[in-house]
Amino acid sequence: MIGLVAVSHSRVLAEAAVELALQMGGENPPTVRVAAGGPDGDLGTDAVAIAAAIDEADSGDGVLVLMDLGSAILSAETALEFVAAPERVRLSPAPFVEGLVAAVVTAAGGADLATVATECATAADAKRRQLGTDGDTGVSASGAERGETDASFEAVVTNPSGLHARPAATFVKTASRYDADVRIVDLDTGSDEISGRSLLALMALGIRRGSRVRVSATGPEAQTALAELRTLIEDGFGER
Amino acid sequence: MSETVSTADLVSWIRAFRDAVQQHKDELTRLDSEIGDADHGSNMARGLDAVVAKLDPAPAGAGDLFKTVGMTLVSSVGGASGPLYGTFFLRMGPALSVDEVDATTLGAALRAGVEGVVARGKAELGDKTMVDALSPALDAWDAAVADGSDAAGAARAAAEAAARGRDATEPLVARKGRASYLGERSAGHLDPGATSATLLIEALRDTLADAA
Repeated sequence: MIGLVAVSHSRVLAEAAVELALQMGGENPPTVRVAAGGPDGDLGTDAVAIAAAIDEADSGDGVLVLMDLGSAILSAETALEFVAAPERVRLSPAPFVEGLVAAVVTAAGGADLATVATECATAADAKRRQLGTDGDTGVSASGAERGETDASFEAVVTNPSGLHARPAATFVKTASRYDADVRIVDLDTGSDEISGRSLLALMALGIRRGSRVRVSATGPEAQTALAELRTLIEDGFGER
Repeated sequence: MSETVSTADLVSWIRAFRDAVQQHKDELTRLDSEIGDADHGSNMARGLDAVVAKLDPAPAGAGDLFKTVGMTLVSSVGGASGPLYGTFFLRMGPALSVDEVDATTLGAALRAGVEGVVARGKAELGDKTMVDALSPALDAWDAAVADGSDAAGAARAAAEAAARGRDATEPLVARKGRASYLGERSAGHLDPGATSATLLIEALRDTLADAA
C-alpha cells in the first residue's frame, strides 16, 4: 500500500486533517506521516523533516505528498533532493483536506501511486459540482448506453443521509478490492455514470435517501463485486 | 590584493551575512508585514544563527561549507526563504569543490546558486522577488570579471547592482509568494527577499574588501 505525507505550516492543522481523513480509512488505512510546523513549533515548514516523513511512509509502493500552501510546496520540492527514492514520490496539486480524504480512501482500497495521485488531482471538482458552480452538471449518457456491461443491479439507498461520506467511502473501498470496473448511476436524478472507485465523483453525485441507483461492473470479478455491493446498499451500510 | 578566495573568507562571508540580517531583522520583518506574513527577518535570523552555530569548527572546504549552510537553512528557517536560500547554497557547493577559488569560479558558483533559486521558486525577473536583486548582481559580477576585475572588485559591482535591483522592486506588483495574494496592493513596498538578498551580496563585498 502506498504511504501518505501531510505537509502543513501548522502541526494542529495537519493532525486534524489527518484525523478527519483517517475516519474514512477503514480498518486497514494507509500509513500517514505528518511533517508540519516550524523549527520552534511556530508556523513553518522544514524540508529535512519532510524528507524523513516521506522515507518513513514509504513501504516500497511509493508516497503521495499533500501540502497546504507557499513554503510547504517549496519545502516539499526541496525534500525530494534528500529522500531515498525520489522516483517513488509524487507531490499532489490537490487542496489539502479534500486531497487527504481522497488519498486515504483510495490508498486504503489498494490503488497504486499513479491511481491515487490521479484521483486526488480532481479533489476540488466534487465541491465545485456540489455548489453548482461547475456548469457541467448536466445529464449525459447513462450506463445502459455504454453497451458493454457484463452485469448490473438496481437498488434503493436507505441510509438516512443518503450516500454521504462514510458509506460512500465504504462503497469505494469495496469496489476497489475487486478486479472489476464498477460504475454507478443515480437513476432518479439521471446523473452521469461514474466510476465506483472514485470517492470524490461518488460524493459529488449527492445520492439521497430513497434514490434508486444502478451499479454495473465488467471484468473477471464483476459478479462477486456486485454481490457484495448489493448487500452493502441493501443493508444501509450497517447504519440502520 | 589577493587573487584567490580562501574557505576562511567564505566562512567570514556567511558570518557577515548573519550579522547583517540580525542588524536589519526588524526592517526585514517590517517590509514583510507590509506585503507578506511578517516573518522574514525573524525567520532568516533564526536560520542563520543555526548556521553559524555549525561553523565552529569550520568545514574544511568550500564544498562542505555550503552543503552545511544549505542543509541547515532548509531545516531551520521555516518560511519560503528556507528552501530558497538553502537551495542557493546547496547549488553553490559543488561549483566550489576546487583547489583554488577565484573571481571566475566564485561567479560560476553564484550563478549555479541563483539558477537553483529560479528553478525552485519559478520566479522571473520583475516578479518582485530575491531574483530581482540576485540576477543583476550576477550580470555585474561577470561583466567586472570580463574587464579584468578580481573577486573583491566583482563583488563591489555586484553589490551596487543588487541594491539597484532591490530598489526597483518598490513599484512592482508581486507575482510570486504570499505577496502575490495582495495583487496591486503589493506595489509601493520594497520586496523583503530582494532586500535580504542585497544584504547577502553586500556582505560578500565587505568580506572580500577586508580580506584584500
